[in-house]
Amino acid sequence: MANKSLMSPKKIRIAALLAVMGPGLIAGLSDNDPAGITTYSVLGADYGYQLLWVLVASMLALIVLHDLAARIGVVTRQGMIGLIRQKYGARAGTLSAGALILANIGTMTAEFAGIAAAGQLFGFSKYVTVPVAAIAVSFLVLRNSFSTVEKVFFVISAGFIAYIIAGFMAGPDWGAAAKGVLIPTIPFTQEAIFIATATIGTTLAPWGLAFIQSYAVDKRLTKDDLKLLRVDVWTGSLLTGVIGFFVVVTCAATLHKQGIQINDAADAAKALEPLAGTMAKELFAIGLIGAALLAASILPLSTAYSVSDLTGRPAALDDSPREAPLFYLTFGLMTGISAFLILIPGAPLIKILVITQIINAILLLPLLIYMFGISKDKQLMGEFVATRTMKTIYSIIIAVVGVAISCMLWFTIN
Amino acid sequence: MKTPPVKSINTVAKRIVGRNELVLQRKNIRESLVSVAGLIGKPVKYQGGKEIGRLVDVVVRHGEDSYPPVSGLIVKVGQSKSFIDGARISKLTQNEIQLSSAKVDLTEFTRREGESLLDADVLDHQIVDVNGLRVVRSSDLYLAPLDREIRVVGVDISFKAFLRRIFPGALGRGPIPKHVIDWANVASLAHGSGVVRSNESRAALGQLRPADLADLIEDLAGRERNALIEMLDPDLAADALEEMEDDELQGLLRGLSAQRSAELISRMEPDEGAEVLRDLDSDHRESIFMEMDISVAKQLRKLVEFDETLAGGIMTSHMLITHEADTVASALALLVEHRGRDISDGVVVVDAKGKLLDHIQIIELIAAKPSAMLSSLMGPPYPTSVNLNTRLDEVIDEFANNRGSSIIVVDEKNKPVGRILADDLVDALASTSDNQGFAQGSGAL
Repeated sequence: MANKSLMSPKKIRIAALLAVMGPGLIAGLSDNDPAGITTYSVLGADYGYQLLWVLVASMLALIVLHDLAARIGVVTRQGMIGLIRQKYGARAGTLSAGALILANIGTMTAEFAGIAAAGQLFGFSKYVTVPVAAIAVSFLVLRNSFSTVEKVFFVISAGFIAYIIAGFMAGPDWGAAAKGVLIPTIPFTQEAIFIATATIGTTLAPWGLAFIQSYAVDKRLTKDDLKLLRVDVWTGSLLTGVIGFFVVVTCAATLHKQGIQINDAADAAKALEPLAGTMAKELFAIGLIGAALLAASILPLSTAYSVSDLTGRPAALDDSPREAPLFYLTFGLMTGISAFLILIPGAPLIKILVITQIINAILLLPLLIYMFGISKDKQLMGEFVATRTMKTIYSIIIAVVGVAISCMLWFTIN
Repeated sequence: MKTPPVKSINTVAKRIVGRNELVLQRKNIRESLVSVAGLIGKPVKYQGGKEIGRLVDVVVRHGEDSYPPVSGLIVKVGQSKSFIDGARISKLTQNEIQLSSAKVDLTEFTRREGESLLDADVLDHQIVDVNGLRVVRSSDLYLAPLDREIRVVGVDISFKAFLRRIFPGALGRGPIPKHVIDWANVASLAHGSGVVRSNESRAALGQLRPADLADLIEDLAGRERNALIEMLDPDLAADALEEMEDDELQGLLRGLSAQRSAELISRMEPDEGAEVLRDLDSDHRESIFMEMDISVAKQLRKLVEFDETLAGGIMTSHMLITHEADTVASALALLVEHRGRDISDGVVVVDAKGKLLDHIQIIELIAAKPSAMLSSLMGPPYPTSVNLNTRLDEVIDEFANNRGSSIIVVDEKNKPVGRILADDLVDALASTSDNQGFAQGSGAL
């Protein structure tokens, strides 16, 4: 039993917070994966500071939704897919899980693509970097205890600081940035609306929502931890937004000013070199590798949680492969298939990424509606059932996401 | 101080209750299983074959029966849902349900106490597989005629049965008996007001080790967790609670009524109970004390107030107190009465004023004449005693010096108030070292 007489109240509070920290921080930051960084880079390179407010809006939605997902996990002690099976039936559960698995394989492939691209900036072949990353990630997650894995995640996340440094090095126009954050304007062109919806889509990833819920369950957080968990979620989402902000600002101050167009984050890093120095390029690449590694660790984990959840055999990181074979099998297959896809010469990568984006977008809406339904369910949520204010906020977010996704799908198909 | 009036039921005896025959082993039952998942949506017909509507859900009644009987059907008639009494069912097959009359009263369904809906409350929900010792989801439920009623007899937890339900048309496929678990072997935690329980599953839960049970409890959430606690034998539940992680336990108590919390904490070892109470906020603690037996509450209140690094905070107040004028026979009777407690290795002897005289080992009592007075057995070696405010490190020194299995804690008037056993010391040391505060807490180490 904790011997409280030996610690000052302040120390206890900090220790308690550190013990709860994790789900919000890790799930939030992992949304800034290579796909996310690419989107932010393009947003900054093409539209300068003007669309920064889109980033702020998605960050606010991220806070609300991660808070909800984490709370559902703590209160019900069940993962998202398991709850959907229980509340919405076998078909809804299986369809959600199926879509999630497909989308996650695609997203995982994108993470490996990020690692391959960033590695090439440093002169390493993808046939070296991708297998090394796949093995490192599997080894980290499968061979270590929950708390070790969590600590390594924190360390990897520190790689994101690279973007903040790069942001300052680019010497942005802070006044214009502030205006972009505070005053929402958007040119009514197809490209602008597409990049705005892509920003929302990359921030609010279905796997992130499923992950934060399972992670809160696996971490065995209790209702008493909810207040501290909220601090964790806010910190994670705010940091996610701040990092996104610096990526946009870096590209706005350099690429946009010079009128340089880019296609992905690695492009952005390369283009930065003559404008902000070799250091800026390397920082950008390091940030990209960190982002990809974090997301590549979490994606198979999130998928494994969801699959175990669907079958009704909840599994945890501290279970052994003998106790939870399905959990570990899913993890291995996810990593293996994605690494394989990226290494096949001539694999239709662009097609895979576009399809992934579409599945993620299609999946997000029903997922949000299910979450909304669960949040209102008194039997499941007890005293933590959503209040009228929260229900209104959720409805607004779902409506906005619905419109954004419809726009995005429309543009993708046309 | 008097012996605490904590009821000491022999939980071991309850755990070895023999299990009755499982009905799934009967061939005729195995061959007449009807899948609930496959039945939903099938037509319900009057005698004569006219269709009334489609089946929406099956209502079962939980009582003392191991296999809950079907008490009614919820049927979609036109646009509304109606309830049909279970007694009207004449024939139930995988493809249709036939009623015994040509006309029935259709009433609106209202949930009655002790009833649950198989599709809405049980199917796909979490249940405890008591034999496999795990929390699983039910993929399908099976009905069969038993004792003149249609009852839930089995549950399928396989992923195969779950997948079967996703595809249309395949629903009618029969159950795979080897995947079906007997209903008596699961504890479904379906509905708050009507926990699906069977005597067998309860008995089976009773056979679990408290530590395993604690793990199961920790795996469950809110309503289901409380339901499991409610269905457990309180002594076993208290044992399991002692094995739970501190913060889990705190959360659990917040979800239980003060009355149930009081009942469980009273049954825990007093020092463990005090530890739990110490960490609750004062309002909550008070509300639990209010529900307790006055003397238990008084005893626990005292323990709660002690610092955990002092003897008073480590000790257990459970001990058997006898007077020097008592006979050996009465001391032995007292020990037998409290045999469920693992700490009854002897009795503490006090004088007329309640002051500590000696601790007599059970072996000395057995060797003595039953009619002898306890005073005749007193003599060296006398037990080691420490003060309530003795620091942890000094208690350790005392233990190291006298090599006894326990130390008696006395108050300022030399009246015994508790004992410190080796395991209490281990607990105290484990919790201090958790916070790396051990060096501060006890200067000696």
